[in-house]
Amino acid sequence: MQFEGTERYYLSPELREIVNIAIAMGKPLLLTGEAGTGKTQLAFEISRSLDLRMEEARCKSTFKGEELCYVYDTVLRLNDSRFGSGETGRDVNNIWDYLRFGPIGRAFLAEDRRVLLLDEIDKTDSDTQDNLLDVLEEGSFIIREINHKVSARQTPVIVITSNAKRELSDPFLRRCFCHYIPFPPPDEMQIIVRLHFPDIAEPLLDACLTTFYRLREQGFEKPPATAELLDWIGAIRQSGGRGPGAGKEVSHIGTLLKRTEDLLKFRGVRRASRF
Amino acid sequence: MIGFVYHLQDAGIPVSVRYILEFYRALRRGLARDLDQLFLLARLIFVKRVEHYDVFEQAFASFFLGAEGTTPAVAWEQLIAGKPFQQWLRDQLEQGLLTPEEVREFDTEELLARFWETVLDQKGEHHGGNRWVGTRGRSPYGHSGRHAGGIRVYGRSLHGSAQKVIDDRRYINYSDQSSLSNENLRQALTSMRSLRPLGPETELDIDETIAKTARNAGEIELIFRRELRNRLKLFVMLDNGGYSMTPYIPLVKTIFNKLRDIFRDVTFYYFHNCIYGTVYRDPERIRSVKWEKIISENKSTRLILIGDANMAPAELMAAYGSISLTHTVRKPGKEWLQELKTAFPVSVWLNPIRKDAWARESSTIQQIGRIFRMEDLTLAGIKEAVSYLNVQGQTYDRQ
Repeated sequence: MQFEGTERYYLSPELREIVNIAIAMGKPLLLTGEAGTGKTQLAFEISRSLDLRMEEARCKSTFKGEELCYVYDTVLRLNDSRFGSGETGRDVNNIWDYLRFGPIGRAFLAEDRRVLLLDEIDKTDSDTQDNLLDVLEEGSFIIREINHKVSARQTPVIVITSNAKRELSDPFLRRCFCHYIPFPPPDEMQIIVRLHFPDIAEPLLDACLTTFYRLREQGFEKPPATAELLDWIGAIRQSGGRGPGAGKEVSHIGTLLKRTEDLLKFRGVRRASRF
Repeated sequence: MIGFVYHLQDAGIPVSVRYILEFYRALRRGLARDLDQLFLLARLIFVKRVEHYDVFEQAFASFFLGAEGTTPAVAWEQLIAGKPFQQWLRDQLEQGLLTPEEVREFDTEELLARFWETVLDQKGEHHGGNRWVGTRGRSPYGHSGRHAGGIRVYGRSLHGSAQKVIDDRRYINYSDQSSLSNENLRQALTSMRSLRPLGPETELDIDETIAKTARNAGEIELIFRRELRNRLKLFVMLDNGGYSMTPYIPLVKTIFNKLRDIFRDVTFYYFHNCIYGTVYRDPERIRSVKWEKIISENKSTRLILIGDANMAPAELMAAYGSISLTHTVRKPGKEWLQELKTAFPVSVWLNPIRKDAWARESSTIQQIGRIFRMEDLTLAGIKEAVSYLNVQGQTYDRQ
């Protein structure tokens, strides 16, 4: 099983090697890096390229970990026991009718190998993270209510992303292969843009990238990333503009800079000094 | 290959047996067919944090390509607390190469520069005399009262301004008693753990619901109970400029790091003596954080300030009071602190100086104590602080 990337996604040779090593070693791959470097996208590309189905868990801070494996719907069962399950076909005496599996549960129970994405793991508590890693490492979890062990039929390809909002714990890091995706340099960015706009004219692309990287260096609170660049180029092309504009006259600047403060800074408006 | 592992360890990358086994397993599977792949494989297995990438690359290059490695930079905070520096300073004082007055007046960099000069060049003994006196200028901190600028030294300087510590060691002994130490860390932790608010009543109490429902003759009655999870956000601001704080920093960090489990978010900030509209994200105080960002935090965010609150009165009260030359902020420290208190109603100041010595140590302690509730960094103090925060927090958690 070799991951080669797809026609819509530019894969640096380094990243390709890394994904393949992680798959070969059967370890979860933890991707960190600036927003807009394609961390989440990579999981989708792995799934597409290897033709595996995808199970996706977008983490929330309220997660305790278990709901990613299964949810036991007590209220529904209680309701059915009181009012009857009617035409639904559920049997109140059978707990399995009231268990719903989350992404991890589905990935474990599936007959085929799946890609399991845990997106933005750093949003969860460190307890949750450790619990999840236990589950993923052992490839099994227990349904507490009936003390039933669910084991993975096929170990999924696990991709975890983190925006590093919070430090992840050492034990967590120890169990993963960690890779920091750096922001793509201009030459790689050219390839990426061409994947999305195959017919873009060379001078326009050059001009846009020059402006883009110059903006990135100006120390904005939220520097524009790949997604913003693509939106911006899209906007310029839509509006029939011939160039990105220069100086303070960059067109569609709103697609690049999202924060008011950044915009003000770009336009040269100084905030009232606080001293 | 095992040599490489030790090489990594020497370079400062934490290595565990688990990694080594993984590394060998990967090698046996033929995952490293060339040097590039070996590099990626080794990095994936051994390096877990992006901070270590650079060190790793150098270690890899020096091991496999024979390139010259560079020595990693040493954090100066560590250096100053470390033995060689303290030993050197004591020698200098005893031999009269430096007088206590000079120690007080020179700033950290100056002292460090001298330290390097003498220790690294191994020329220290030959110079002798008073060669250095006056040749390198005085402390840049001079503008705001001298005794605030000097470095606080002499063994384990725990309390007081440098003056007192060097001339008069009566504070050193008692400071160790029952203040925070490794031994009572666990107790302190336990009391910190009670710093948890109750969540909203969203969790279904299944047992109670079934019992109630049965009693209701099958009419469903849902019973919810409070979620016990801690959704607390905590800011910790550490004064790591004064050396009275240095002995406590590792302890304080351990405590709050352990508490990460029960807090949603623990963020550390650093400042020097007093706050003038900037706090820093790193102990070296280089990466500053926007003041607006800090004070626009949710009001329920807990703030714990840890510092000796001991400074020259001018630092607190006067305009342009900061002892650092790079700071030219007109608004006096007191107003900044007041602003901070308004932004964080649920806040407390922990002071490593014991309560009974506050009045004696400095007038600024009382001044700051009027803004923030202040407790000392002892077990009792921490307990007090926690219960204070819990009571204060109740008002804001519901919003």
